[in-house]
Amino acid sequence: MKKLWGIFAFASAVAVLIVAMKIVNWVPSLAQPDLLKKYRNLDEVKTGLNMRDIIIPSYFPQNLKWPPSTILAQGKPFQAVVMEFEQDVTKDTSLVISQSLSENFRADGKIRLVQLKEKVNYSLKGRNVVLEVGFGSKGEMCSRVFWKEGKYWIHVMSKSPPFELLKVAESMIQ
Amino acid sequence: MDLSRFFDSYPGSYITQAFFHSAVAGAVVEIALKSWQIRSPAIRQKFLLLAVVFPIFSFPLYRIADSGRDSVYFRLGALFDSGRWMSVELPASIPLGAILILVFFMTSLVFFFQELFPVLKHALASGKSPMEEVRAGDDPAIAQALESLPAEKPEIFVLEDEDPMIFSATGRKGSIYLSTGLLELLSVEQLRAALAHEISHVSRSRRPYMVVVFLLRILMFFNPIVLLEFRRSVQDDEKICDEMAASLTGKPLVLAETLRRLYLSQEAPANGETAKGPSVTEKMEEYSHRLNIQSRIDRLEKGYAQWSGGEWFVFAVTLLAIAAINYYVV
Repeated sequence: MKKLWGIFAFASAVAVLIVAMKIVNWVPSLAQPDLLKKYRNLDEVKTGLNMRDIIIPSYFPQNLKWPPSTILAQGKPFQAVVMEFEQDVTKDTSLVISQSLSENFRADGKIRLVQLKEKVNYSLKGRNVVLEVGFGSKGEMCSRVFWKEGKYWIHVMSKSPPFELLKVAESMIQ
Repeated sequence: MDLSRFFDSYPGSYITQAFFHSAVAGAVVEIALKSWQIRSPAIRQKFLLLAVVFPIFSFPLYRIADSGRDSVYFRLGALFDSGRWMSVELPASIPLGAILILVFFMTSLVFFFQELFPVLKHALASGKSPMEEVRAGDDPAIAQALESLPAEKPEIFVLEDEDPMIFSATGRKGSIYLSTGLLELLSVEQLRAALAHEISHVSRSRRPYMVVVFLLRILMFFNPIVLLEFRRSVQDDEKICDEMAASLTGKPLVLAETLRRLYLSQEAPANGETAKGPSVTEKMEEYSHRLNIQSRIDRLEKGYAQWSGGEWFVFAVTLLAIAAINYYVV
């Protein structure tokens, strides 16, 4: 009986701790409104975070839907924006573009290279880009390209062969 | 300096997450100790050391297990994202992260001067000849006290000092030092209890487990939670040695009386002492020391029930809860 009571007390207190942690995690957004969160559109990011120079591709694959289905952005600790694009028919996220002031910023949750097959350095419109090709968690082909554009690090990830991806990336270089 | 770069780097992430992981581990351990009413110092110590050892390995292990843990999506769904708090700006645009770094720095200083430096000093001094006013402990009272103790007896030395004191030097060849003042103050039975307590310390110090724990603890030199939890576990060590001494002599009440005589019967500093009296810090240290001694006496006098609640089951449940919650603390 004592042991059962112990398990019950432990589970209840741990549940309270988890709720408390969630609240503690939410508190900073009261004092700092520019922390990472979802935005409805890019204009909201531009005005809310004073981030005028968001780079968007001028070439866009026809099977993808514009505008981005999800936009995540932050002003602190450094400026960053993530745009997700869905397939027109399947609604599956097929392209993710991130732009950030930090080299370590990672937005590879929806499209993730689990198995890397090839990594090459590439010159694209005079930029040194790194192209990675491999497979995602469900065995689908994925590719990623990243480079530095001015003060920002740009990552473009796609659930497609690199050909389309490079065309998107090329259209983002001014 | 751009602090976000530091917190974004591998060492910065390691240090920050180790701090928050130890805080969560400390909280879960406290919940477990209260939920299952664990009072045995030996078991409590194992639990407290979870908060010391767990954060050393958690960050790299989580990273190996899930390389996507530091992605923006994971952070967005995390239970606690340290980066959010580190970015909060205080007045004068000072980020909260700068305060945390200051706390780490202060903790490192405390660790170095209060823990590491004395250990190094002790280790360097142990190879040299003992203090000048020391003689071999061949007094009849000591021989009589040691006679009936069923334990391996370390070397005993007597210090020519009228203040009553007793302590052990641990290491490969443990020894016990006691003062002439102590020999005058205690009866043979009380001396036996005090020696049994120190013999317990010497025998425990030979176990490689404690050495390994201390070496691991050094890795968390910057972590204030680890500092507190490690000190709490050291306090439990005293209670473990009390239990061992009581079982060696079979007389816990004599050990309680010995503790009272040695540490509580000396006049406590009067309240409201002025300029030349001890500082506030010294008073607090003295107060906390007396509280600790009193709790040890209470345990010995009131008796202590041995915990029989399936120690390893509770330990495993606690460890699992710590690992599961901390996985979502980035």
